[in-house]
Amino acid sequence: MELQAVLMAAGGGSRMMDLTYNTPKPLLPVGNKPLIWYPLNLLERVGFEEVIVITTKEVQKMISTDPKMKLDVKMKLDVVCIQEDADMGTADALRHIQQKVKTDILVVSCDLITDAALHEVVDLFRAHNATLSMLMSKAHEFTETVPGQKGKKKTGEQRDFVGVDGTGKRLLFMANEADLDEGLVIRKSIMRKHPRMHIKTGLVDAHLYCLKKSVVDFLAVNKSISSIRGELVPYLVHKQFSKSTNSPKVNDETHQNLNKNDGNVNLEIQISSRDEELLRLTQERSCWNDHRGDMSEAYHGGRLRCYVHIMDEGICYRVNTIAAYIEANRLAPKLFDEPAVHPSAVISERCLIGADSIIGASCQISDKTSIKRSTIGASTTVREKVKVTNSIIMHGVTIEEGCNIQGSVICSNAVIGRGADIKYCLVGSALRIEPDAERTNEVIVGTDQLMEI
Amino acid sequence: MSSRGGKQKKGNVASEQEEEEQPLQAVLVADSFNRRFFPISKDQPRALLPLGNVAMIDYTLEFLTSTGVQETFVFCCWMSNKIKDHLLKSKWCRPTSPNVVHIITSDLYRSLGDVLRDVDAKTLVRNDFILVYGDVVSNIDVSQALQEHRHRRKVDKNISVMTMVFKESSPGHKSRCEEDDVIVAMDSKSKRVLHYQKTQGLKKLQFPMNIFQHGSDEFEVRHDLLDCHISICSPQVAELFTDNFDYQTRNDFVRGILVNEEILGNQIHLYVTQDGYGARVSNLQMYDSVSSDMVRRWVYPVTPEANFTDQRGQGCTHSRHNVYRGAGVSLGHGSQMEENVLIGRDTSIGANCHISNSVIGNNCTIGDNVVLDRGYIWNNVDISSNVEIHQSVVCDGAVVKEAVRLNKQCVLAYNVEIGPNLSLPEGTVVSMHHPEEEEEDDDDEFLSDDQEVGHSKDKTRQKAFNPAEVGPEGKGYIWKPSVDDTEDEELAQCLWGLVLNPDPESDSESEASEESQDRSRSVSPEIDDVNAFQLEVLGTLQRGLEENIVCDNLVLEINSLKYAYNITLKEVMQILTRVVLEYPFQLQGTQLTTLQYTGLLLPLLKKWSPVFKNYIKRAQDHLDCLSAVEELFLEQDTHQTAMVKVLMKMYQLEILEEAAILKWFSTGTTTDRSRQLRKNKGLQKFIQWLEEAEDESSEEGE
Repeated sequence: MELQAVLMAAGGGSRMMDLTYNTPKPLLPVGNKPLIWYPLNLLERVGFEEVIVITTKEVQKMISTDPKMKLDVKMKLDVVCIQEDADMGTADALRHIQQKVKTDILVVSCDLITDAALHEVVDLFRAHNATLSMLMSKAHEFTETVPGQKGKKKTGEQRDFVGVDGTGKRLLFMANEADLDEGLVIRKSIMRKHPRMHIKTGLVDAHLYCLKKSVVDFLAVNKSISSIRGELVPYLVHKQFSKSTNSPKVNDETHQNLNKNDGNVNLEIQISSRDEELLRLTQERSCWNDHRGDMSEAYHGGRLRCYVHIMDEGICYRVNTIAAYIEANRLAPKLFDEPAVHPSAVISERCLIGADSIIGASCQISDKTSIKRSTIGASTTVREKVKVTNSIIMHGVTIEEGCNIQGSVICSNAVIGRGADIKYCLVGSALRIEPDAERTNEVIVGTDQLMEI
Repeated sequence: MSSRGGKQKKGNVASEQEEEEQPLQAVLVADSFNRRFFPISKDQPRALLPLGNVAMIDYTLEFLTSTGVQETFVFCCWMSNKIKDHLLKSKWCRPTSPNVVHIITSDLYRSLGDVLRDVDAKTLVRNDFILVYGDVVSNIDVSQALQEHRHRRKVDKNISVMTMVFKESSPGHKSRCEEDDVIVAMDSKSKRVLHYQKTQGLKKLQFPMNIFQHGSDEFEVRHDLLDCHISICSPQVAELFTDNFDYQTRNDFVRGILVNEEILGNQIHLYVTQDGYGARVSNLQMYDSVSSDMVRRWVYPVTPEANFTDQRGQGCTHSRHNVYRGAGVSLGHGSQMEENVLIGRDTSIGANCHISNSVIGNNCTIGDNVVLDRGYIWNNVDISSNVEIHQSVVCDGAVVKEAVRLNKQCVLAYNVEIGPNLSLPEGTVVSMHHPEEEEEDDDDEFLSDDQEVGHSKDKTRQKAFNPAEVGPEGKGYIWKPSVDDTEDEELAQCLWGLVLNPDPESDSESEASEESQDRSRSVSPEIDDVNAFQLEVLGTLQRGLEENIVCDNLVLEINSLKYAYNITLKEVMQILTRVVLEYPFQLQGTQLTTLQYTGLLLPLLKKWSPVFKNYIKRAQDHLDCLSAVEELFLEQDTHQTAMVKVLMKMYQLEILEEAAILKWFSTGTTTDRSRQLRKNKGLQKFIQWLEEAEDESSEEGE
């Protein structure tokens, strides 16, 4: 076993509360499959046989009981539950499962939908004996209209600055715009080692990381780090060029001290990937080098190395906002080849269903309906003369006669009254829309769901 | 200004048709405006110093001509006559020359800025022109850069004013000039320069955020660029120099454009060549590396044997190991020219010499058993037998006598005589000019290398040469590299430039320390908050004392601070206790005796007791407060005896309850020191007293 897969599926989906109020984020239907299926499928495709799933009790229960949430994966799922209210970060979760981690790990977030070639990331990890390798992608512009969102979102968001070397693989720098009040500061010694640095801003972190086992051990000792993305990764990236991890002498000394476990310095050093004896020998004997320009040894003697694979094309979404959710639903059918219409669905012959639509299990679609570019969840009833365009209908929804639904998201078990006209709306779960209602660009949720302040 | 704008517009319309036909122009500045080559440049302007036995300005002109320049303006200042004579004799001034050279001389130029202002005043340039110094050696074909530059100007409506030419070369490359080390931030797509900074002496490179706000999402920070000091300028550059009379150098200009770019809309771009060669000989270190690159044929097709200056007798043969020999060279028996050696015409070399990586000029005489390594021997030099020369420059007419040894980085200026039997230490500079003779005119700030100093010649006191310095038969004065009254600027002006050895140890040490700072900051920002809160509380209490503020108001203020810094109630109390107990130290410094301390503290405690009472209510609060007291006195162990008094006072003021004190005393001694603390006699007495009092009171109760 070279890598253990860890799936982080305990996030609350705080950036799309309207959707996750009733359904936990990992179980949101995307293309009629729970969101969590996508990363699981990704792992299965590359041959993982076992995966540790970190999630909440609620999700676990729903997966095991609700037939609609059934995950058709053959992998062995080792589900670890963490308390929902403990407010654990991703790094905390890793610390939680430290006992289970026997080797290097591949951490995936449950909201990742991608067709990335995983081996690219893992190969970087292998080839450079890296401490961390991760996946990033060019950010996508979301084109669809988002319900309840007035106008275009401001682009003045805080950008991430990612610095990579000339080859575009080695991760040299990482910071958020918010932390760069005094301008972007780079140490000259880094520039001397990597004289050409590309600084990219339009990137999305896919939250897919290969980590050395030693990093997990480090986390176990260093309890102050609670999030992988927010703290651990920047810390590792920064540590690449610090002295303590670079000079082998110090490293050897501290290895002896390690058992004593005294002081913070040693803990930090634990992270640096210890090259095996044979590897070190190879490095000594070979004339291979990772850089040009000066004659110092490969990697300038640094033990801690971070790499990133940046996808130029292909699908890579993180479903953590409503906009991303809608976009993912639109693209999901392209990711798997299953019949668009589930065999158990009952569909009248006199209706129009576009090729880019998905109809879930045991749906009932009546006469004279027209469904285009939409996803219809399982056990949904669509009555006569209904027009659904560009929408996402979740499970168990009832749409009465003559409705017109366009560019909207209808959550589970909602009922849309006869003749309603809904455009660019989000309808919360189990809500009832009165007949002949006309709603445009609204977020319609139950009163109990209004945000508490 | 408006008339100029009109003129420019008209020019543009015309230029669109003429652009191709108009001859490419160049401005060559044959003056360095600094004194880096002093004292050599006292006798010869820098542009005429020989490099590979050819004057440097010839390389620059050759580069311009080969790149397609048809009209060159050569601006000279220092020793302009010599440069003029040289050029008039050269092939550039023959009627067949494809490149028409105009020589413009003036003693008034003090900087590159002055030259360009003159260019503007005389309206010499009509179109994009190439700006170079007279000491640039290059074989870069700038036509592609020129094309890119013109394209940009067409598309962007003259926004781009300058394209700087850089050569790719990694840090640590020999031909990189440490002083010219630059860091460039650019837009990856448009190749626009966003930030340009010299890195010399910097440990951290800082990029202002506003350079990343240009809509592009990909930037490049490059430290692998060597500034070739070749720039393609649009005519606006000269105008901008006129408008901004404070621009002296190209650096001023670039900085000015990058900073003011938002107002004026001007941009600077860069062109990076991978395989061309381009370098400016800005100090002797560079002279050394450019010379050796030249001999090693990196500047092909400009090579020593090419005789591109087309002068009679300059030709030489090229044989393997890069050994070049001019006409009439004689080599003694057993002499070896190992590799990378260039020997000028009519030079004779004695027997059993070892010569490697060296350039020897014309008409030199070299004796027997001479060792030359990285030696640059100019013309008409006489070197006697048994001489050893390492990485040094020997100028025209110098005489090196028997058994002299020149260690690294020595310079023998014109007509100096050295020896015999002498070893010059590393970095010795010997000149026929006395150093003081030069200092007299040093007052002028803008003194260029190239200032006329001859007038003081007759005044010069004929000082005797020091035989200890230059040998018994020597002639010349030692130049000390650093004069005491000048600072680091002088350091940068020493002939050989800075030595390339950044101290890696100290560098990374500071990194480590700075890192630990970073770390503590990132992981526990609340510590900062607590500290800030503590300072604020101190300030509040101080003000309370000075302005006699009621305790209730103090409480209010502390409460608001608590929310501002997000401090828990427990921390508030601990900090408050600490601040109050430390207050006497704040007032009088830490040298207080215990008696003074308690004397100062007890009234304060009384004064602020309402504040304490406000925060210390529950039993746990009492314990927290006590532990804070304990902590403080553990730190201030010289004042431990005062602790009893403090506790007593707090007990009397009813800030602390006896039960709490007893509980604190009996529980949780974890460290040796606090156990030690509790063994304090006074404290034990106090506790005993408390216990007894409690007994009494309980007895009374019964």
